[in-house]
Amino acid sequence: MKKLALFAIIVLIFGTISPSLANQAYGQNDPSILLRIATQADKQIVNQLDKKYQNEIPNNINILYEKGHRAVESLDKSLSNNDIEKAKQDFLLAMNSFMQISRSISQSSEKVIVVSVSQKSNQNLESKLDRLEKYVKTLESISSKHKIEQNGNNFTTAYSLILEIRNQINTNEDSSKNIDELKDLIKSIKNEIRNSMAEKQSNSIKNFFEKFLVQIDQKLMQAKDLGRDEIEIDRANELILEIRELLSKNQINDAKTVYSELKVVLKNIGISVKIT
Amino acid sequence: MSLLIEPIQSKKSLGDEGILFVRNDSIFDTMVKVPLLVASMIIVAALLPIQSSFSSPRDLDLIIYPDGSTHVSTEIDVDPFLTDYEVNLFGNTIDNLVVIGDSGFLLDVDVIGDTALIQTFGSSVITIEYDIHDLVSKQGRLWTFSLDSPSDFTLLLPKNSAIVGMTNLPLNMEIINEQNQLTLSSGSTEIDYFFSTNSISNPNEEIKNEEDDSLNTIIAGIVGGIIAIALVSIVVIARNRQKNIKKIDEQIIEKTVTVQKNNILDLEEIFKLKPDLREDDKELVKFIFDNNGEVLESELRKKFLQPRTTMWRAVKRLEREGIIEIEKKDLQNLVKLRKDMEEDN
Repeated sequence: MKKLALFAIIVLIFGTISPSLANQAYGQNDPSILLRIATQADKQIVNQLDKKYQNEIPNNINILYEKGHRAVESLDKSLSNNDIEKAKQDFLLAMNSFMQISRSISQSSEKVIVVSVSQKSNQNLESKLDRLEKYVKTLESISSKHKIEQNGNNFTTAYSLILEIRNQINTNEDSSKNIDELKDLIKSIKNEIRNSMAEKQSNSIKNFFEKFLVQIDQKLMQAKDLGRDEIEIDRANELILEIRELLSKNQINDAKTVYSELKVVLKNIGISVKIT
Repeated sequence: MSLLIEPIQSKKSLGDEGILFVRNDSIFDTMVKVPLLVASMIIVAALLPIQSSFSSPRDLDLIIYPDGSTHVSTEIDVDPFLTDYEVNLFGNTIDNLVVIGDSGFLLDVDVIGDTALIQTFGSSVITIEYDIHDLVSKQGRLWTFSLDSPSDFTLLLPKNSAIVGMTNLPLNMEIINEQNQLTLSSGSTEIDYFFSTNSISNPNEEIKNEEDDSLNTIIAGIVGGIIAIALVSIVVIARNRQKNIKKIDEQIIEKTVTVQKNNILDLEEIFKLKPDLREDDKELVKFIFDNNGEVLESELRKKFLQPRTTMWRAVKRLEREGIIEIEKKDLQNLVKLRKDMEEDN
């Protein structure tokens, strides 16, 4: 029995510390990627410097580049010597130097434009279309998982529209009309999915509400005993009745709306909305 | 009357000269109550996963498009006893938001600023997907990605982008469809990149990228080690108590059904042998079967639109079930249906 207990302790200790071991091990996964990234960055910086300054690189940038390049060489050596900690330091030093150079080059460009890509003018149509296509694919995956029939085969229409827009982008034609049409179509697909799912989803939501409302009833009674605001308690009871009525009529969305009101009232009374 | 102080359970350990010798195991027995220690260890072990369970993303995958917009895909564990869940988005310019509950239902969401209030109604895991325009900024020709991430994440950079600066150590890097995908740790990260031709060097010239294998091997080693220790100890204890149990192997072998037909098993036979298979896993098996019994993991991700880590877990699950085996092919994972498998008891 003693041995078994000791063994259990060892297993538990090992089991407890193993996640942290795994994390550390993960961090050291294939350190050669550091050299790969740093070498690529080095090459890119050389290209950028050549383009921008040709043979007249400013002294401060030259010093930074030398620092970064030496760190890449040191990184290579550290990896050969299997000195991972040194390799990490070298990598960060190199990438930091290259980052400073690239920012310096960008700042000294003739036209300095700092934009957040949320500004629509900077958006690229192709990226926009790629994002919409991914959105359509996500909806298609949900739709096929729940075997939802789309009216008039909306997905086929969406994909042919995407193809058409892509062609228009390639030929520099105006695609804004088709993009708007695609967006409307996606909206209608989403609504169709939501409506079709409502029925299937209603049972699970009803079950959840049943448990939930029973517990809220009990909490309201306790609140009454504690002398909390009676007007609010009565209001909560009314809303619960309303939710139950809506659920019995299968009006799930309306029940959810009333539930939002109930939450506010419960909060005023000081009741937590978590079921146990 | 003796003046020596004798530990209750260690009278025998006292030397002839009256020197107090206390054996280590006696100290252990006297001072540490073993069952108490075991119980507290169990509590600690049980509490650890709970500490980080709810509200922390279990998967976070980001894709940067050439215009700097970013697609975010994340899976979050939520408390199934709550009616709704509030999540902080990475910004407030959100497009194409979809939130899916664990039964695959679309969940209702209200977005206010950079916060989304999701009506979870009993879901324990939610998948959130959206596009955001706040994570990348541009200065001249230089693009900068900035994120303060609550968890480790993967970041797929656009085609022809070349990293020229970063503030963090990457955990991993791989090339997917000529695009760099980095795995980065939680916390604040900044990555600078340019667009350039030939930004991705030939993978054949690169040092071999082991994908997730190092991680897999380490975790498998640790888990395997624990299981092995447990098995060995159980066997030793069982042998000490009962020496007559020798026919277990024969009984187990009798239960093992090995069916081999046309190289790979029939779908129905697979599902019959593995009746408890999850529905989504069945879909994966069906897809692999329809592709002559083998398919690349990346093709599975593409087909089922799953994040890399989610698909990796599903594939590992099937491997554990003994349904598939994983081979390396051109630095990618080739998932193959096994030619024989064991029946579930």
